[in-house]
Amino acid sequence: MAEKEFDTGGFDFSEVEKRLGVTRRTFLTFCAGVAGSLGLSTNSAMAMAKAIAQPKKRPPVIWLHGQECTGPSESLLRSEQPSLEHLILDMISLDYHQTLDAGAGHKVEEIKKKSMEENKGKYLLVVEGAIPVADGGIYCKIAGETMVDLTKEAAEHAAAIVAFGSCAAWGGVQSAAPNPTGAKGTQAVLPGKPVVNIPGCPPNPANFLGTVLYFVTFGKLPPLDEQNRPKWAYGRLIHENCYRRPHFDAGRFATEFGDEGHKKGYCLYKLGCKGPETYNNCPSLEFNNVGGGVWPIGVGHPCFGCSEQGVGFNKPLFSLADVKTHTPPNAFPEIDDRSDASGASTGAVALASAAAGAVAGATLVTARKLNSSDDGSNSDDQNG
Amino acid sequence: MTRLLVGPFNRVEGDLEVNLQIDEGRVTEAWANSPLYRGFENILQGRPALDALVIAPRICGICSVSQSLAAATALRHAAGITMPENGMLSANIAHGAENIADHLTHFYLFFMPDFARDIYADQPWFASIVDRFKATVGTGAAQWLEQRRRLLHVLGIVAGKWPHSLAFQPGGSTKSIDKGEKIRLLSTVQDLRRFLETNVFADNLDAVTELTNADALFAWADNHPTGDFAQFLTVSRACDLDTLGQVALPLMSQGAYHNLEGSLFSRGVFDPATGKRNSVNIDAFSEDLTSTWMQGATAHPANATAHVDADKDEAYSWCKAPRLNAQPVEVGALARQVVDGQALICDLVRAGKTHVQARIVARLIETARLVSAMEGWVKALKPGMPFCEEKPMVKTGTGSGLIEAARGSLGHWLAIKNGQLSHYQIIAPTTWNFSPRCAAGVAGPLEQALVGTPVRAKEHDPIAVQHVVRSFDPCMVCTVH
Repeated sequence: MAEKEFDTGGFDFSEVEKRLGVTRRTFLTFCAGVAGSLGLSTNSAMAMAKAIAQPKKRPPVIWLHGQECTGPSESLLRSEQPSLEHLILDMISLDYHQTLDAGAGHKVEEIKKKSMEENKGKYLLVVEGAIPVADGGIYCKIAGETMVDLTKEAAEHAAAIVAFGSCAAWGGVQSAAPNPTGAKGTQAVLPGKPVVNIPGCPPNPANFLGTVLYFVTFGKLPPLDEQNRPKWAYGRLIHENCYRRPHFDAGRFATEFGDEGHKKGYCLYKLGCKGPETYNNCPSLEFNNVGGGVWPIGVGHPCFGCSEQGVGFNKPLFSLADVKTHTPPNAFPEIDDRSDASGASTGAVALASAAAGAVAGATLVTARKLNSSDDGSNSDDQNG
Repeated sequence: MTRLLVGPFNRVEGDLEVNLQIDEGRVTEAWANSPLYRGFENILQGRPALDALVIAPRICGICSVSQSLAAATALRHAAGITMPENGMLSANIAHGAENIADHLTHFYLFFMPDFARDIYADQPWFASIVDRFKATVGTGAAQWLEQRRRLLHVLGIVAGKWPHSLAFQPGGSTKSIDKGEKIRLLSTVQDLRRFLETNVFADNLDAVTELTNADALFAWADNHPTGDFAQFLTVSRACDLDTLGQVALPLMSQGAYHNLEGSLFSRGVFDPATGKRNSVNIDAFSEDLTSTWMQGATAHPANATAHVDADKDEAYSWCKAPRLNAQPVEVGALARQVVDGQALICDLVRAGKTHVQARIVARLIETARLVSAMEGWVKALKPGMPFCEEKPMVKTGTGSGLIEAARGSLGHWLAIKNGQLSHYQIIAPTTWNFSPRCAAGVAGPLEQALVGTPVRAKEHDPIAVQHVVRSFDPCMVCTVH
């Protein structure tokens, strides 16, 4: 069924079936799913499928770890359908990854330098973890070199740079006040270089995969928002797609874990949910691939904005969110009646923000830079 | 006499370098350095108390549940909350799943691939080890990653996402598990049992956990040679892993997996030199900063303060030196099983020293024991009954949360003033194991275990050193937080 919807043009997928250990149907359905979540047409899904099936040359990848917990890599390793890590490792040539590498010590560092030299201007640089810049960058050293120097070195000849996880995107947990090590995101230490941000703590592996697939297929990066996040993944507030939203609109809230409202699955806004000010696709993608409402809000815990700079690790967990989209109606019960909810007042919450949906020129600039190093194929477009 | 800097280590969590002094082909002294610092304890101070639940787990992406549970335990202790039984069971199920995931990932992805290196190419067992364990291509690792994905469904169902789950609270869990989810949990754990009984042990789990001594273990391995555990035992015998990485220090466990009756693994400290098991006095903990790039007096973690001093001459690591009664202690699955009196593991260290072989066997035996326990916890869940106790956090108080993470004892100490954290200190498992020297000049467990390790001529990354370091399954990001 699935394959009938595609015009595969007699393309032979038997080799990719063998390589990835999945059936042709699973493979094509998967590509269609990714294309769908990227807002692309079935033609683009076919283009992706073919790009994976006959890689021209796998783009080499250098994967750097700064101040981090390996959470993003770990979350990549637990993905599936077909196993994303399998797909990614198949599509790319991972020349350097500290946690997964087979070798040890300085030998691996040499391989990295060799790969970077041989693939000048062609490799994809993935940064996981923040980059501490205080005191000359001494708080994170790998093989005697500081992370900030290693990042600059690797970025110099990278075709594209992806900051994977909140730490790499904007500094993450260690950049929270007082930011003892001067932790910064990748973009902040690479001014003028286009960096694609995939924030999240951990980020959803599918958001990384979609971006890499797009890059491998079309030779350029997907459209980005003003914070250089792929629009297809970070274009909407969690609040807009949350399955508990009807409770918010009706003024039904949980106020303590385990209270009546909590048991009934009411809105977690009064428990400090930051869904109204956090851009991410968690409500539609969910986590751990179990299905059935498995994601933080799904298990009764408020979102705390792990992917949003200035929200996650900065605003107190149980303070009220700044509702970006619209002001709660007057008919609502008072929203600051939780005596221990610190921070925002009714007035602050009522402030509607115009930030949503802003479009900057970042996408164009990034794409132009990348186009100079690929074959210029750009048959895709957002409207299919 | 020569000096050798080994590192950075791949296939360990975080950044690690080891400085070695070598004489006549043996390590004579070792210094462990973790070159990463983030300052979590400073970040936590001054924040609302419950923010610890989202900040602290970010210390580590592979044992985040342990960090969550330690923070929740410390807050629970401060607020005097008692969890409902469902909350305890939920925590045990999630924690058990994460610990098993850690143990087997260590076995398949971090430890065993070293035996598939070309340096062992002339060994009779080499071909089958390469087939199962060679990094990135071994069939064993691929099967385990597939199984691991399914096992982590448990953490999705119980805690919403992993790593960095949010469901764990001082009062229990935000997630009420319904009947359907209970059945999914049970089938996931039983699916893991099948993997263990087919791939890892090639025998039923009871037969493995009932082995009581080394002779019985090796006789069993000869009869079940197809399992990956038996393959390890073959290598272990051939490479004398029971003589490698030896150390004679007290073994400590905080006790793990509590329910209304007590805990699955008991709490205590075991001295291999005397064979005596005693209770742990956590008031006798101290943190020594002599070799750490920090300034501060040696003190108990409930009172300790530290300031970064990156120019300190005698320092060589970001890791502090935790001590129990001024002595270093070894922690981990081996310590847990010995303190709990597990017969086989006690027999493996009967000569008074721990070693590489015992550390690996202990992880796999613990895994087998945990799976049976997890099945019991899932069955004991009572859908419809409370999972979380409603009780507000106190405005003032102190608390400690001591738990057992996969790699050993983890402690969080906190104080709350005016609803905000006024103090936060963490001692992580690898902080104990990879501790640098303290004021008395006493080296940490890894540093001691490396002494005597053979180094072959012209080896830049000595293979035996790799085995010893990895036998502890270090988690450097937790260590230095």
